[in-house]
Amino acid sequence: MRARTFAVVFFVVLVAVVIQTTLFGRVRVITPDLVLLVSILLALTRIRPEVVLGIAFTSGLTIDLLGSSLLGLRAIVFTTAAYIAIRTRERADIGRIATAIWAGLISLVAVLLLVVVATLFGQSSILGEHVATRLLTVPLANALLAFIVAPTLVRVVDQDPAALRYS
Amino acid sequence: MLTRDTTPRTDRAMPIFITLVVLGILLMTFHVRLDGGGVIGVMRDGAQTIVSPLQRGASYVVNPIADAIDSLGNIAGLREENRALAAALEDKEAQLIAVQSQLARLELFEELYGLNTAGTDIGRTVANVIGRPDPFDVGMTIDRGSKHGIAVGQPVIDPSGYVVGTVASVTASSATIVPITASREGVRVLVGQQIGTLTSQINSAEMRLDIRDAREPVFAGDRIVTSAASVSFPAGLPVGEVLTDAGVEATSIDTTALLYTNFDTLQIVIVLAWPADPVSGLGQDPVPEVTSTTVDPNTTTTDSGGTTTTGEG
Repeated sequence: MRARTFAVVFFVVLVAVVIQTTLFGRVRVITPDLVLLVSILLALTRIRPEVVLGIAFTSGLTIDLLGSSLLGLRAIVFTTAAYIAIRTRERADIGRIATAIWAGLISLVAVLLLVVVATLFGQSSILGEHVATRLLTVPLANALLAFIVAPTLVRVVDQDPAALRYS
Repeated sequence: MLTRDTTPRTDRAMPIFITLVVLGILLMTFHVRLDGGGVIGVMRDGAQTIVSPLQRGASYVVNPIADAIDSLGNIAGLREENRALAAALEDKEAQLIAVQSQLARLELFEELYGLNTAGTDIGRTVANVIGRPDPFDVGMTIDRGSKHGIAVGQPVIDPSGYVVGTVASVTASSATIVPITASREGVRVLVGQQIGTLTSQINSAEMRLDIRDAREPVFAGDRIVTSAASVSFPAGLPVGEVLTDAGVEATSIDTTALLYTNFDTLQIVIVLAWPADPVSGLGQDPVPEVTSTTVDPNTTTTDSGGTTTTGEG
């Protein structure tokens, strides 16, 4: 990964972390997991898959460090989501709606995995009063955001205006 | 199909994926083994020290936007909420007038009998909630840290005085608080004259109230306050109320309770410097040697003989 791409990815992840922990931490109407979404959408870029996995792991670890739950929990979940995204990214090629559905489904798998692992490790801070609702609203919000931002994000990271253009 | 350039990629994804998952499991194991301390605590402090200034800056911009979005989403309920709040305000104002007259009488009696207050005030630090990690984690980041006298284990209440939770980790200028709904141990509480334990339930705002050695039934609406048997909270802080009537069954009561605090809408919290004496853990009647009050636009701290505490005492 070139230094410029690294800087762009670092900036994108940092912005995602700050927006996630501030804006989306307060808004109750829409509850996406922006950092998870970035980890998934990076699979659509030209960044090498192993680097995407590393970014996903680091992003998850950052959220773990900022939260109150077990360290490594989201790191594993985000890495798994990124791996599924890498393995299935050709399915997101059909169009904008397909990309949104694809991101939403991977987000659903990720939040289910998060809740399962959190339950296994007795993480009561994850299993709060909204856990069942969030299992649905987070993937839906991520699908909506993917529909809006996926092409732009890929073009910004790849620094290629022609990237991810559906025909 | 999209016109994305598909350059050939060597498939090293699987071994990297397995390595990272194993690394994640190792981190989780370390966290459990070290109980969040050691190198894990240092990493957490480092990350929060870097990100909290960004969160603090962003929250100035984000809060009005979040309020606007929330208002749009809840526009139907706003009028009703305003009406309820106006009614509650009138009620509280009436109560305040009653309390003020009682305070005046108390002052008069204290003067008559030559009594001096023994500094029973607990130091308080007002803090803003500047971040929440993700949609699932109930933890909150506040904009006050160790340099403001905050320490791990200190109790946290909301501006109405209702119990919120405890401080889980602290950096110089920020801290993470964990609500009582995320506490695995539960909170020792008092219902009437009976001591019980409040524990959280999965996917529910209600908490489970368990009273051993029960002597009398509890009824819906009964007030729940923190017990003197609690090691995490000073006695007498309001927590919530009993949700359903429950009778004594084989010397125990098992029912549900609802907390007073709404954690979703919480923007300002108050951290209590309790216990005042971290060695003995006696926080009920701290007798201060020095009492000072510092006021700035955002923070009010009253030190009563020991704002710096460690652990839960």
